[in-house]
Parts: sequence; structure tokens; C-alpha cells
Amino acid sequence: MSDVATLPPVHSAAPDDNARLPRKSPWRLLSRPFALLPASFLLLVLVCAVGAPWIAPHDPFTPAIRHRLEAPGATYWLGTDDLGRDMLSRLIFGARTALLASFESVGIGLAAGVSLGLLAGYVGGWLDRVAMRLADVMQSIPAVLLALALIGVLGKGLGNAMLAVGLIFAVSFLRITRAVVLAEREQLYVDAARVLGLRPAAIMLRQILPNVSGPLIVQASISLGTALLIEAMLSFLGVGADSTQVSWGSMLETARQFQSEQPLLPVVPGLAITLTVLSFNLLGDTLRDALLPGGASQTRTAVRLPAGTAATAAADADAPTPADTLLELRQLSVRAAVGGGEAELLSQVSLHLRRGEVLGLVGESGCGKSMTANAILGLLPRGAQIAGGSVRLGGTELVGLPEEALRHIRGRRIGMVFQDPNAALSPVHTIGTQLCDIVRAHSKLNHAQALARAVELLDLVGVPDPARRLQDYPHQFSGGMAQRVVIAGALACEPELLIADEPTTALDVTIQAQVLDLLADLRQRLGMSVLLITHDLGVVADLCDRVAVMYAGQIVETGSVQETLTAPRHPYTAALLDAMPRGRADARLSTIAGRVPPAWAWPHGCRFHPRCAHAVAACAQQPVALEDGVRCIRADELRNARTPIDIREVAA
Amino acid sequence: MRQLFLSRLLSVAPILFAVSLFTFLLTRMTATDPVVQILGPGASAADRAEYAHKLGLDRPLVEQFFRWLGDALRGDLGSSLYTALPVAPTLADGVSVTLTLAIAGMLLALLIGIPLGIWGAVRHGSWADRLLSTIVSLGLAVPSIWLALLLSLAFAVELQWFQVVGYTPFAQDPLEWARGLVLPAIALSVHTASVIARQMRSAMIDVLRSPYVHALRARGLPQRLIISRYAIRNAMVPVLSVMAIQMSVLVGASIAVERIFAIPALGTLLVDSVVRGDFPVLQGAVVVIATIVLAVNLATDIGYGLINPKVRAN
Amino acid sequence: MTEKPLLSVDRLSVDFKLKSGLFGSRTLSAVRDVSFDIERGKTFGLVGESGSGKSTIGRAVLRLVQASAGRIEFDGHDVTAFGRATPLAFRRDVQVVFQDPMSSLNPRQTVGTTLGQAIDRHRPMPAQRREKEIAKLVDSVGLAAYQAQRLPHELSGGQRQRVAIARALAVQPRLIVCDEPVSALDVSTQAQVINLLVDLQREFGLSYLFIAHNLDVVRHVSHRIGVLYLGRLVEVGPAEQVHEAPRHPYTRMLMASTLVADPQVQALRTQERRQQIRAELPSPLAPPPGCAFHTRCAWAEARCRGEMPQLAAAGGGVEAGCLRLSAVAATPQGQLPVRGDAVVRQIEEVNA
Repeated sequence: MSDVATLPPVHSAAPDDNARLPRKSPWRLLSRPFALLPASFLLLVLVCAVGAPWIAPHDPFTPAIRHRLEAPGATYWLGTDDLGRDMLSRLIFGARTALLASFESVGIGLAAGVSLGLLAGYVGGWLDRVAMRLADVMQSIPAVLLALALIGVLGKGLGNAMLAVGLIFAVSFLRITRAVVLAEREQLYVDAARVLGLRPAAIMLRQILPNVSGPLIVQASISLGTALLIEAMLSFLGVGADSTQVSWGSMLETARQFQSEQPLLPVVPGLAITLTVLSFNLLGDTLRDALLPGGASQTRTAVRLPAGTAATAAADADAPTPADTLLELRQLSVRAAVGGGEAELLSQVSLHLRRGEVLGLVGESGCGKSMTANAILGLLPRGAQIAGGSVRLGGTELVGLPEEALRHIRGRRIGMVFQDPNAALSPVHTIGTQLCDIVRAHSKLNHAQALARAVELLDLVGVPDPARRLQDYPHQFSGGMAQRVVIAGALACEPELLIADEPTTALDVTIQAQVLDLLADLRQRLGMSVLLITHDLGVVADLCDRVAVMYAGQIVETGSVQETLTAPRHPYTAALLDAMPRGRADARLSTIAGRVPPAWAWPHGCRFHPRCAHAVAACAQQPVALEDGVRCIRADELRNARTPIDIREVAA
Repeated sequence: MRQLFLSRLLSVAPILFAVSLFTFLLTRMTATDPVVQILGPGASAADRAEYAHKLGLDRPLVEQFFRWLGDALRGDLGSSLYTALPVAPTLADGVSVTLTLAIAGMLLALLIGIPLGIWGAVRHGSWADRLLSTIVSLGLAVPSIWLALLLSLAFAVELQWFQVVGYTPFAQDPLEWARGLVLPAIALSVHTASVIARQMRSAMIDVLRSPYVHALRARGLPQRLIISRYAIRNAMVPVLSVMAIQMSVLVGASIAVERIFAIPALGTLLVDSVVRGDFPVLQGAVVVIATIVLAVNLATDIGYGLINPKVRAN
Repeated sequence: MTEKPLLSVDRLSVDFKLKSGLFGSRTLSAVRDVSFDIERGKTFGLVGESGSGKSTIGRAVLRLVQASAGRIEFDGHDVTAFGRATPLAFRRDVQVVFQDPMSSLNPRQTVGTTLGQAIDRHRPMPAQRREKEIAKLVDSVGLAAYQAQRLPHELSGGQRQRVAIARALAVQPRLIVCDEPVSALDVSTQAQVINLLVDLQREFGLSYLFIAHNLDVVRHVSHRIGVLYLGRLVEVGPAEQVHEAPRHPYTRMLMASTLVADPQVQALRTQERRQQIRAELPSPLAPPPGCAFHTRCAWAEARCRGEMPQLAAAGGGVEAGCLRLSAVAATPQGQLPVRGDAVVRQIEEVNA
């Protein structure tokens, strides 16, 4: 079901599969500057490392005391160190040590950590416990310290130093692999693989391992940088590279010793380390953006929008609205940047809601009903904006109001209830804090008065023992109770209009019924108007007075619940009703062919015509206007032809 | 809450035991034999055996370990094989200085990192945010030893605002003590501040996109209140765990930074003990530091429990 | 009907151990003493809300969780006695379709690869024949041929669910456990998938264990229905009997709470449910004593707190577990027992 504040994903449903995006090749990553620059630099480092004997102008090992501690000049471009050795040459040879150290340690870490992590995560049991204890022990000692200790065992030298660092990395790779394996093991597709009878080894390798590679690659690229920093530190301390190798870290130690005589010494090796580590990190970031999570959701480019998607709808006849209208939407349109272009999410939506009335806004996912609610409140997600039309609440025009004015209306004149109660409450604050904040945001009450009001509200919505419950956290409430709390929050400032966006979808059947009863009760007692957004026509039949049916960003039919549900005029409404099981053992439910088109590919002409059993040639030609509460050129014809759907059951 | 504290405390003991055992075994496997180091290569086998006996190194390993453990629990960490000085007081001095440096670095990192992270998250996507991300990337890449060297050169040697070498204990002169901490703390804090800023920013962005923040906006709460009361607290949860890890990293980095400012602390002590095979010092140092790190983790878990009530319930 | 049922579940119980506090552990009785049969080619619908244990029963039949007590017999073989390794033949005979189409497919495998894996495991055949077989499967669930090359995230929810069904069919099973297969889908897609399942049943003689929370949907596809509350079967019988004339108070409450898009019918259901007792769903960790439903039951008496009723015949082939069956049957739909003072006091007593 739709998420409240996000734009429709580009891949949600290709109407015809020609509109599918091509899969991105991983090499395209390199075209981005933050990947190209680091990659080039690392290539340079690699070239230096491999070709050092040929590239370096001087021998990095032979001392030339006469030229010691010279500043940069013609012969020695970057100066010399305390033994007269050329800094540039030493820099180039240092690249060898740097790359060797990084890749060796990360390689060891991956090999040891991943294999152990896979086993520990999938097999579990004593192996897992032992591995985790070992990991705890090793991680309770700082890396440098542990490296020192391990070097004490293995002896000095770069190889041993990097082995030590590698073992330390193994622990973090172990943790990551194990965590991913544990998470993936719970996924339904692993259960499905077990039910298929696939062997455990096959499941681990073919199902789970490919999903581990993403986080591992990202962590590995960052570890390359960390490895270099640790190697530099160890060489600096004198326990890493010895005098037969050139290390940027030990060059820093030399620089320290002679800093008073030649202050320029530290510049070059430090810069080399910094740039190399930076390149590793930036590359890691790019990989992270590309690989996590779940692939294609990142690729939001290259969608060719068919021309003329924007201005499609014909001008709807402006029906006169009753005198006691509270909320009126006129020709409201919302556009968003989707893919490489723009899509119209809402097209000329018009509806009205009278005082004390319950209007149901019904549609399937992707039709734009939640977007309508967000548009009314002025809380559209980033990238979406109101492209035209008006929203009037009482006498106030909401479109174009400055943010501060809108903020005063939200909560004060319009209350909102959401689908998932636990997602609508901050998990780390008590209910009391949250309710008080809401109350005080729109009034001048002090803390004690706000608390009293909160107790009143909880009582109003039927939460037992309200004073004590104020100190509880959201996770201590069951689903139905939590939703009551959310409703209490919506009513805190006695709004004129309540917008409920799928308020009961996430609840159990009997609890859903209770919450609907609560809403009916509140509507009666407080005389509130309710805009109820749902996909369930049963909810509409239960609670609503009037209904507006949405399809593909447009209203296709409006009317009273009694009329519309017994004698629907628009083919889509009729099809929806036919598709619902009535609790009879019919052989087949009638279905609607095809799928809901995505926002960036609304069909031309009537948006429903590709799926409509009654479509004729004229339906595809031009956009259809909303006339007399229905958006269909054949509405009258079909009404006369169809017998009212006889869905009345004789109750036992 | 109490249960959380107790259960975490109880789990620390076995880890410490394992750490001691682990280090003990490690030190006994060292490549260098301290007896040889002390007596020199010319010593006879008999002399070596006698000296080993004097140091108690010829007893069975199990006995050596439990003897050490018993002593350690009473506060006696043995004596250095080289200087014969008791380990515990030497360590105490060194560890307290290293810890001071690490804590100073952490405090500075928090002071810089958290506000920067919040600032970047609130301006997510703007050029200011991108600039911040670039600076953070740089901060993550700069080696703290290099930074320390440059700072020392610039501010201590050239400008002479700070002392170049040495360390003034707090008891002796608080002002000088504080002055002596400035440069090392800055050098240490940059990397950690970057890590914290990045984590804070990413956590805040997630929180600001979450359904409950959307719900709070729909209730008409002012943005400032949403950020200060709701977003920060929810975002602190992942930042806390990062802090705990960084404490460990800072202790490691101080070891090297001390060298640059010639601050007599753990750094030299440790490196020498590794090179010479001075078991008691190495063992004592590792166990003491591991205890501190575990204590920090424990504090983090408690903090986590204070912020996130769901953890308490389990 | 003397033919032996394909699946026979006999007094199945499933317990879970949960860690509690520092050292303790609690037992969660997810399923208690559940018995039912599934005939060949028929559908048994299992209905309940959260905490009812319906998914656990499905998983126990699939051997994804272990039964703590009782027996499951499939085609004469004792499934619960298999031990650690499940025989391949059983894996071929019993398949599953899960609720969430997104996470029930491996996100990194194409449709063709997923189906191919299933075929390779149970019906190994040369590559060319396998390709044909995959094409046939894709077609039989109403997907276009080229969609075998797609990855799950490139398909819609309904399409993914069809792939899941195709995967189950690939091994030619005899029983498919459908765990809320349409709950995550839109109305029009729901209808398509339901039709597909019914068609496949007719074509291949499949049996279904159809688990759901909506009585209307379950009624549509099932021949027999079982209603679960807090791990126990409270009513079981032929689908039209359980749906049109529920005997057990919980089934009546469920029926009254199920929403339908017909204003007339819905008005009747609304009327009945408005008179019911509003109380929270008890947690399965702390079930009420005696009859688990008594805290929310309008017919409850003092003795309901003491005794857990067994399933007893209630006419029309239906069995229901309630001590007050006759009183319930005597109350017409749309009404509840008149709340005389005596009854009200009893209810308060029971709920105290």
C-alpha cells in the first residue's frame, strides 16, 4: 500500500513492457566525477607502484649525505631526507608499500571474515557463539594496540604488521557477513528455498551470498583506506616497514625527527597518504550509492515521457457546491519530477465535503489518493508541487499560503490519521510528551493544562486508564490502541476536518471494526467532517455518506454511497465492485484486465480505456471531462443497458 | 533498566577473562625471549635457566596465568621484566594521560561533529551540505599523525603559541595542562569528528524522512521543535554506537600522537614492551585498556537504553 | 467420503521458547490441539487474526517449524516423525505461496532462474526441455513469455505473486499451503490471483490449505473452513455453513466485523458488531483462563472462565467449541442477547 510521503517508484508497474528501463551497466558508474577522479588517482598510484624502478628519477635507498635535507630544487624536485635520498623517488616507491599493505590486509580480512561469517550466520549453534565471543574479545582492544600485540608475537616487519591488521579486519567482516546472513535467513525467499528442498549449501551460496556482496564491497573499499592509515601509524612507530622498504609512514617519522632542520619534510608523504585514503573512501561511497539497497531504485534517469502527458484533462464542468461546504477542491493538479521528466500525479481533482459529512476517497495504489491528502495539507514530498487549482477550507484558500500560515492550519483546523499507528508515533518519546507537544503547538496552555487535555483526549477515544498510559511508549500499545492514540493526536485541537488515510488497513479485522466504530461515534459527537481515504469499498459502505472514486490521478465518479455502490455508473467502479468476493461461492470473480498505469505513462484519452470492457474508438481520442459526477462518455448508454447489480443477499 | 545494566555488567566479566587469557597466550608466544634480551646473547644455558626460574617463567602456563589473574584482581599487575618496577603504577600514570588525550579528542569531536551533522541534514541537498560532505571526506582521510606534525610545526615551533614537547600534569599547573592538550586534541579529533558528523547527518536524514516526522508536521508542530526534540533524539541512537567504537580508535591513535608531542604516556611504554618482550607490561596494558573500552561500551549500552525504551523492555 | 484425506492434522501443538529477563524463559503456545483434514482436490480455509496461530500451522505443515505435540499425516506418511532431514518426495508434494510477493522471490534471480531451480531439484531434465517447461509454467499463470527474463523488482505485485505460484507448480505438488496469498494485493489483482488459484485447482486436482484473515475471501475459495482464535480451532465445518450461519461467538464477531461493499448487507453487519463487547485482543503470551474468548464474548457466563470447551457437533456438519452453543444459536443475526441486569453483572464479573 502507498507510503505517505514518497513519490511513486519509477518501476512500480510497466503498463506495457516496452516502457521498462534498461538495466544499468556497472561501468556507467565511472562517468560520475566523484568516481572518476578517485579512480584515476588510484590508477596513478598503481602505476607508480608497479613501475617504480623505471619512473623514479633517483635510487631511493642509496644515501648521499652531501645533499641531506635539501629543499625542493632542480635535481631533487621534492627535496631530500636526512640521508640525502630523493623524496620524490621515495614517494613513488612508497606507493608499493601502501598498496601492498592495504590489499594484503583487506584480502586476509575478507577471506577469513567472510567464510567464518557465513558459517556462523547460517549454521549458528556453538560455532556462532564461539565466533562472537572471539569477535567481542578482539574488538574490545583498540586496533593499534592489538596490532602491536600481534606484532609482538609474530615479530616486526611489514608482512606481519599487515597480517595483524588483516586479522583485525576479519572481525568486522565477520560481523557484517553474519548480520546480513542472519537477516537474509529470515527472508521469505529463503523459506521458499527450504520448502523447495534446496540443499543448505546451495541456499547459502546461491541465495544468500549474492546479497551479502554489496555491503561487503562497500566495507572493503573503506577498509582499504583504514588499512593504509594503520600501516602508516605502525611504520611511524617503528614496528611496521623496516629500512629495506619505503613507507610513507616511516617518512613521517623521519620528518618528525628532523622537523626543526627541514620543516617541509612531512608535507609530501602526508599528502600522499591523505589523497590515497580519500580516493579509497570516495570510491567506496560511490559503490555504496550504486550497490545498496536493492539495485534499481537508485536509477532514476532516462525515462522518456511521452509528449503531452502534462496537459491532458479536459476542463471539467464546475458543479455548484452546497452552501455548507467545508472543504472544496477545484481542479487541483499536482506534478512531480519523476525519472528524467515530469509526470502529473493528480489531474484536475475536484471534490467537495460538507460539514458533518463523511466522504470516502477510494482507489487502488498508485491512483493518487494519498497524494491528494498531502496536497491539501501542503506536505507534498520533495520534487512534487501543486501545479494548479484550489483548495478551500471554509473560506480560506490553502494553495499558495505561506508555510507558517499552513502550519497553523495543520493540526488546528485539519487533523490527520495515518495508516500505520506505530510509524506515526516517535518510538523514543512517551505518548504524553507527544500529545502535549501537539496541544501546546496550537494553544497557550501550560504543561499541566496540556497534560490534563491529553488525558481528556485519551478518554475520548476510549483508551482505558488514560492518566497512567500517558507515561507509556508507543511500543507498549497494541495496534488498535495505538491507532486510538493517533486519532487522539489528530483531534487534539478540535479540528473541523479529519483526514484519515487508510486508518484501519494495518489492523486486525475485529480491531478495524472497533476503530471504525470509534470514528463513527466521534463524528456523531463532535460533528466533524471526515475525508476517509481507502482502497477498501467495504470501509466506504460502512462509514461513508458519499464516495469519490479515483483512478490514475483523476476522479472518475462521485455520488452517494447508496447509489454508487448499488448502481455504479463508471465502468471502473462497476468492475471494482464485481471483483470483490461477496461471500458466495461464485465460480469466478470478474477481473479487470491489465494493470494500473504508472504516473509517467497515463494513457491518452480516457485513462481507463485500455482496461475497459466497454471502450470504443472515441474513448481513446480525447480526455474525458467529469460530467454530472461521472467521467465517461458512455455513462448514460451503459446505465440504460445494465441491470442494477443485484448484490443484495438475504441475510440468514 | 536495572536489568539491562546488570545483564550487561555480567557479560563483561567473561569477556575480560577471555581478554586476559588471550593476551596471556599471545605474550607467551612472542618471538623474542626476554631472558635472552636481558642477559644478552653471551649468557650460558644455566644462567638463562636460573634467571627464568627467578622470574617464574618456568612454571606451567596454567599456573602462571592463574597466579597473574589472582594478583591482578588484587590490583597487582606484576613487575616489568626489565626495570623491575611494578607495572600497575607505571601503567596508571601512562593510561591516565592517554585517556585524557582520548577524552579530550572525543569531546572536541562531539562539539564539532554533532552540530555539523545536524546542519548538513537540515540543509540536505544544498551546496552547503555537499560542501560539508566533501570536508567530512577529507577529514576521514587525513592521518592524525600528519595533522599533529603540521599543527606542531605551525603553532608550536613557528608561532610558539604552545609548548612543543612535554606534558604538564594537572596537579602542577592546570592552565599549562590545558594548553598542552590543545594541539593533540585537535589532531585527534578531526577524524572522529568526521565520523560522527557523517553518522549524525545520515541518521538525521533518515529520521526527517520517517513517517512519524511526517505525522508531526501534519499536526502542525513547528520545524524547530521537530528537529530539536524529536529528530535529534531518534538520530542519536546510531550515533551512540559510533561513539563507542571511536573511543577505541582514539585510544589507539593517541599512542602515536603522543610520540609527536613527546608526551610520556602509554605510547613509548607499549612499543618498547613489544620490542623487548616485556610480558607483564604488555599484558597489563592490554587488559587495562580493554577494561576501559568495555566500560565505555557498557556506558553506551546504558545510554542506548535511556534513549530507546524498546531496548529496556527486553 | 471414505477416501483417505490427503492431509490429516491431529491434535497439533506448537510451542516457542522465548527468552525472558536475565535467565528465564517463557513458552508461547502458538498452536494448541488443532485437528483438521484436507481432502484431495479440495481447499481448507484457515481463518484468524494476529496471534491466532494460522501461519504457524502452515509452517508446521511445511516443516519450517517443529511440532511440539500431535501428528501431521500426509498421504499416509507421518510427517512429524521425519526427523531432521525432510524427504525430497515430501518437498515435491507440498509447496507454498507466501503473503509478501516481494520478499518471497530472490531479488537477484530472474523468474526463469527461479523456476529452473525448482525444476532441476525435483524433475531434472535436459536444458532444452527445461526451457520449454519454464515457458509453459509462465504461460499457465497468465504471464507473457518474455517475463521469464525479468527480475522481481521489475514486476508488479500481482505478477510476482503469479511467479510464486508458478514456482510452486513447477514441481507438480499435490498440496499448496497458501499463506495469505492475496492480502498484500489490490482488489483487482486479488481477483485475478484468486481466479488463477481456483482454475489451477480444477485443472491439476490440487489441494490447498488457504490461510487468510478475510472470511469472505476464504469462503470464496474453500470447501471447508476452520476458524482459529489464540491457537485453537473454535469452529470448523463446510464453508457455506460456517459463513452463512456461524455457530461460535467469535465466528459471529468475525463475520460481523468483515466489511463488504454492499450498503444493505454492510448495514446489517454493522448493527450486529456495534452491540458487541469491545475489548482488546489478548496476547498469545497471556491467554485468558478457561475459554480464550470469554473476555470478549457477549454470551459469556461464569463457567466460561473455568472450562476450555472442546469441539462438539453443532448441526450441519459443523463443530464448534463453545459451552453456550444453544444460547448463541437462539440469538438471531443482527441482535445480541438482551442485556438484562443479570447478564450485565455476569459479564462484568467475568471480565474483572
